Amino acid sequence: MAILEVNHIEKHFGATQVLKDISFSLEQGQALSIIGSSGSGKTTLLRCLNFLERPDHGTISVGGKVIFDAADPTTQSEREIRKKRLHFGLVFQNFNLFPQYTALQNVTLARELMAKEHGGESHESILKAGRELLDQMGLADRANHYPHQLSGGQQQRVAIARALALHPDILCFDEPTSALDPELTGEVLKVIRNLADQRTTMIIVTHEMAFARDVADQVIFMDDGFIVEQGDPREVIDHPKEERTRQFLARYAEK
Amino acid sequence: MFWDVTLTLLEGFGGTMKLFVLTLIFALPLGLIISFGSMSRFTPLRWLTQTVVWIVRGSPLLLQILIVYYGPGLMFGLPLLPRFTAALLTFVINYACYFSEIYRGGIQSIPRGQYEAGEVLGMTRSQIFFKVTLLQVIKRIVPPMGNEFITLVKDTALVRVIAVYEIIWMGESFIKKGLIWPLFYTGVFYLVFNGLLTILFGRLEKKLDYFR
Repeated sequence: MAILEVNHIEKHFGATQVLKDISFSLEQGQALSIIGSSGSGKTTLLRCLNFLERPDHGTISVGGKVIFDAADPTTQSEREIRKKRLHFGLVFQNFNLFPQYTALQNVTLARELMAKEHGGESHESILKAGRELLDQMGLADRANHYPHQLSGGQQQRVAIARALALHPDILCFDEPTSALDPELTGEVLKVIRNLADQRTTMIIVTHEMAFARDVADQVIFMDDGFIVEQGDPREVIDHPKEERTRQFLARYAEK
Repeated sequence: MFWDVTLTLLEGFGGTMKLFVLTLIFALPLGLIISFGSMSRFTPLRWLTQTVVWIVRGSPLLLQILIVYYGPGLMFGLPLLPRFTAALLTFVINYACYFSEIYRGGIQSIPRGQYEAGEVLGMTRSQIFFKVTLLQVIKRIVPPMGNEFITLVKDTALVRVIAVYEIIWMGESFIKKGLIWPLFYTGVFYLVFNGLLTILFGRLEKKLDYFR
C-alpha cells in the first residue's frame, strides 16, 4: 500500500496558479525525485506536504488516512497541522540550522521539547539518539561545533540528522545541494544515497539529474505547475515521452 | 568643601538613577508590546501604533515632559501629576517607542527559514519564539540598546525643566556660590556611569559572540 497519496492538489498565490491538479503516490521505502526548471512548482509542492503552504484544493493521505483535505476545515487547525506535519521531515536548501545551538543540540532540540510537553523519553536517551544520528552522518566529531564552525556540507548533514530525529514517515529534501560549493555536494549526496539504501521513504527535489536517476525509484517531471511526466527514472530521464521533458533535459545537458 | 559638593551631587545622582532604572523597568517590556502592535496584521492597530511612535520619536522629549506635566491641568482642569511621576511617565512612553523600533528591527531581521525550520519540527509558535528566535534577536539588539541606555542616562537631565531634582540641577546650585568645578564634577559622574554601561554591554556582546 502507498504510504503517501496526493490527490488533485492545487495552489494559488494571488492570481497565479502554481500547482495544477497534482496527484501522485509513493510506496513505503521508495525514493521519489522531482525535477523541473525553477518556477515549475516543485518547491511549492514540497512546502505543501510540510504545511508551510496550505493547498487550496485536494487531499493528502498518509498510510491510507486522509491527513489534509482542503474542503474539510477540521483537518486544518493549527493544532491538527502541527501534529500531522510530523509525518514529514524537511531538509531545506539553506539548511536553516539554529545558530545558537551546537550540532547535537540542533538535532535534539525538537525531541527535548516534545518530551517536556508529553513526558516520556529521558534526556539521556534523546542525547544518545542524537549522537547516533550524527555518527550516521559522519559527524561524530562535530557534535559540539556550532553551525558557523561547520562547512556547508557538514551543516546540511546536521540538518538531515535533525529531520531524521523525529522519525518522519517521509523525508523531503528541497534542493539539498543547491547552496553548496560543487566540491561539497558529494558528501551530502552520499548521505542521501545511504538513506535510500536503508529504504528511507524520501522525496527529493533536485537539479542533480545523474543523482536522481541513480537513487530514485520514481521520477516526476514538473513544468508550469503540472506533472508532465512520471515513472521509472530510466524511462523519464533517458527516454522521455513528452516534448517538454525532452526540452528540459536537453537544456540541462547543455550546461 | 569637596565632601559637601560630593554629597550634594550624589543626592542628585540618586534622582538621576531612580529615573534611569524605573524608566528601563517599565519601558523595556512596554516597548515589546508596542513592537508587536507595529508588526500586527490588523491594519488599524498597526497604523495607530506607528502614528504614536512617529509622534513620540518625532517631537522633542523636552516638549513632551512639559505637555505631560502641565497639559492635563491646563487643558482639562485635572490636578497636576506629581513632578517625578510626570517625568517618569514621559520617559517610559518615549523610550518604549524607541525600544519598540529596535525590537521590531531585531525580530524582522531573523530569516523566515528559522521559523519554518521550527515549524516543520513540530514546534509551537511560543516554542519557536523562546527557543529559536529570542536569543538571536537579543544578540542583534544589544549594540543599539547600548546606545539607547547611554542616551537615557544623559536625557534624564531634561527633567529639571519641571523642577525634578537630578545631578546637574544640584551642580548648578553651586554657581551661585561662584563655583564652576562642581559642574565639571557632574560630568565625571556621567562619564563614569556610562563607562560602566559600555563595559557591561561589551561583555554582553562578547558573551553572545559564540554564535553567528
